[in-house]
Amino acid sequence: MTETTRVRSLDDPDVFVETPATIFDAVPPYPPRSEREAEFYHLDDGEMLINLGPQHPSTHGVLRVVLKIDGEKVVDLDPVLGYLHRGVEKICENGDWHHAISNCDPLEYVASMFSEAMPVLSAEKLLDLEVPRRAEYIRVLCWELNRVASHALFMGWLALDLGGLTPVLWGFIERDEIVEMLAALTGQRLLFNYLRIGGVNRDLNHDFLSRLGDWMSRAGNQIEQSTRLLNENEIFVRRTAGLGVLDRETALRLCMSGPPLRATGIPYDVRRAHPYSVYPELEFDIPTRTEGDSYARYLLHIDEVRESIRIIDQVLHEMPDGPVMAKVPRLIRIPPGRAFIAIESPRGQYACYAMSDGSDQPFRLRIHDPSFFNLQAVGVLMPGNLIADTMAIMASLDPIMGGIDK
Amino acid sequence: MTDSVRQKADTTEIWIGAKDVTDVMRTLHDDEQFRFELLADIAGVDTGSEMWVVYHLYSTLTPDWLRVICAGLSREDPRVPSVTFLWKGAEWGEREAYDMFGIIFEGNRDLRRIYMPADYVSFPLRKDFLLPDDAARSPGEGFRHVEQTHQPAEHFRQPVLRQSKLGSSSAAALDELAADTEKATS
Repeated sequence: MTETTRVRSLDDPDVFVETPATIFDAVPPYPPRSEREAEFYHLDDGEMLINLGPQHPSTHGVLRVVLKIDGEKVVDLDPVLGYLHRGVEKICENGDWHHAISNCDPLEYVASMFSEAMPVLSAEKLLDLEVPRRAEYIRVLCWELNRVASHALFMGWLALDLGGLTPVLWGFIERDEIVEMLAALTGQRLLFNYLRIGGVNRDLNHDFLSRLGDWMSRAGNQIEQSTRLLNENEIFVRRTAGLGVLDRETALRLCMSGPPLRATGIPYDVRRAHPYSVYPELEFDIPTRTEGDSYARYLLHIDEVRESIRIIDQVLHEMPDGPVMAKVPRLIRIPPGRAFIAIESPRGQYACYAMSDGSDQPFRLRIHDPSFFNLQAVGVLMPGNLIADTMAIMASLDPIMGGIDK
Repeated sequence: MTDSVRQKADTTEIWIGAKDVTDVMRTLHDDEQFRFELLADIAGVDTGSEMWVVYHLYSTLTPDWLRVICAGLSREDPRVPSVTFLWKGAEWGEREAYDMFGIIFEGNRDLRRIYMPADYVSFPLRKDFLLPDDAARSPGEGFRHVEQTHQPAEHFRQPVLRQSKLGSSSAAALDELAADTEKATS
């Protein structure tokens, strides 16, 4: 049988030839595996396929998108994932619960305080463990700081993908201050490995607090400056307002969460929907918008940064004294059971379904990454738009490939 | 206001079989009493003896998570109806479960591997897939790295293009495996 050596022709996807294609060709060198794939790789008159990525800077990592275009218009697209797949869930099953914390760190590498909380919170729920209040306040402080850092970068990236270089530099300045601050607390800039089952790794120190006070004194001012740069920028508004419009029904059907969902008017925020940690004691609003376009998603991020600063302010005022770790043995045997926890990350609902069989290793640690589900919306939002606008739409969904590819 | 902060068991759990998935999910989604409009998560699970598909749902009407466990799927041929007719976003979640566990979601129009390459043949998150460097659980007697627990349907079958580099001690086993693969693909 010579069937295995026959591959698709690059000129005509419906014809199979014996020339091997490389993985960088847009058309896959094998017969279609699903109904949808067969439909996508069948081209009508005037249509052609181009590759976007996997090394394209506007894909925010190593995402490859095969675009089916007609002239400058995108007709359809097929995201190809897996270039960053490390098998974190499998690795977690093979180490103990403490290892899982650092293994989950690089999932959401822009805001890893959130992804490393997954094994921590699920283990605490399975153990029914009471965490000291000071530790919970420190966690909330770190989460909100990390959210601001992530959102600052989002605004910069969005503008960068539209061709503006200045905002991304401003975003990085903002983020760098927070990252340095967290480095003073945790010892690391990106993958903090700070949360522990039963508390946090270490208590607040002087270096961190002085940097934090310094930053808080001008954070509000810096946000106003950044918004003045972009909010009424004619080019920015024209290329984001009215583009990539999502309505409520579609967003719910696409299992979206986070800012893209709240930009359609649904006030779903896990901090309020399923309160965890000390969020019930804090005062903050859930900003929503109703337009559902890229511009609304951008404005929503700014509102969320304001709310985060409000939370940080309250946390600093109400921070109780006490220990930062519960009494937990070094070798934890988690009782058998199933637990589902969810927290609100900068990109949406970061959830984890954990199963334990009573040993010191997780039996199953399923990580639900919001960018994975949010990214699916590109299939709905992009068709009909110009190639250049697809960048703006994708950037406004704020995908992080580390979490998507796991 | 909570005085002691703790993660509560705030989850309701129901167990169903594969034949009930469509009806149960449709009722939970559409019925006025339930209105579980948000699919919070969809996960595959390999318990070692059978496969599960676990759904987590959220509704504005109740403070609990609803966990729906579809249990009792055979490890040889796990099949379950797709929920993409209710949540289109479940498509990638189901693709992931297919890629990692080999669970077939009937009705998903785009059921193909999502992370692993198209010529990959095994399902990495299954319990009998051991990592080659897994000192903690490995029986120590050899490799089961590229074992094929589940054969894809006839026309999906692809030749194994890459073999992992194994130690010379397992060369005989590798030859055996290559012969098996050849037999399966010719």
